[in-house]
Amino acid sequence: MLTQFEHFAVTEMLGKPDSPPRANGTLCFGSDWERTSFGIALALAKEGYFEWDDFRDELIASIRTWEDEHPSDHSSWNYYDQFLTALESAVVKTNLLTASELSEFFTLGDQVNQ
Amino acid sequence: MSERFKYREDREAYSAARVRALEALLIKKGIITDRTVDTVLEFFETKMGPFNGAKIVARAWVDPAFKERLVADTPKAIAELDLPDGMAGAEGEHMRAVANAPGVHNLIICTLCSCYPWPVLGLPPYWYKDPTFRSRAAREPRAVLAEFGLPISEDVEVKVWDSSAQIRWFVVPERPAGTEGLSETELEALVTPEAMMGVAVANAA
Repeated sequence: MLTQFEHFAVTEMLGKPDSPPRANGTLCFGSDWERTSFGIALALAKEGYFEWDDFRDELIASIRTWEDEHPSDHSSWNYYDQFLTALESAVVKTNLLTASELSEFFTLGDQVNQ
Repeated sequence: MSERFKYREDREAYSAARVRALEALLIKKGIITDRTVDTVLEFFETKMGPFNGAKIVARAWVDPAFKERLVADTPKAIAELDLPDGMAGAEGEHMRAVANAPGVHNLIICTLCSCYPWPVLGLPPYWYKDPTFRSRAAREPRAVLAEFGLPISEDVEVKVWDSSAQIRWFVVPERPAGTEGLSETELEALVTPEAMMGVAVANAA
């Protein structure tokens, strides 16, 4: 019945703790980096670099950690902060990138942009 | 307050820089290209979503014969339109349209999100999968609709349609009054996912 990976991936999340924000029938991105994070994760899973379910386990774990650290004040909540943390963790765990490559490139990118 | 706002802005910049680094590194290693993100999100942004339903409804508004065909054989009528492949395919083939009329208001509900007619409506809202919404909408649809800000007068019949793996329903709302001069494209903008679920009506802009 489900013919498209994109459809399957998002439908699986709906009604679960990692359900993505949406409005008017579409995914709801607050900024470009949120959209890019989502697109990268979906594309990597679609290409088989990791299982979508494994990525979702990372995401649910990172949401749970955030909730434990913010038991009452949720004013700084952003779904895609947790999504990005989970994505970084997933690419490192599957050996696509190493943590040191990521941090080196982050610093380098920062300098170039300044 | 200003402090919190600054914190938020800094964190935005920090997250944006992290994603830039991640994407650039994956591109550099040849794992993705600079088109990958746009390609995968195209599915949600241009192929499958409420914009398709809006096109179907707007056509039904301007062409009464199409509306009749749409209600009689939904997939066949949808296939007449120039919509992306898959609209009347695996997901869309069991789709059935029900049309609101002066004496009839339709409301769709479903138990499983996977039964939602997403090629035409897009992603369901949070409350849609809530068991309370579903059971109350089946039992007391008028009370639920009133809570949505849509009181239905007693002389209008309310029909509730429960989507399943076999049939996915969507509503053709009535064309709003005062829209006679609008083009089909302008009419599309008046069709919301809520109106196609039956928890709202279409309104003139």
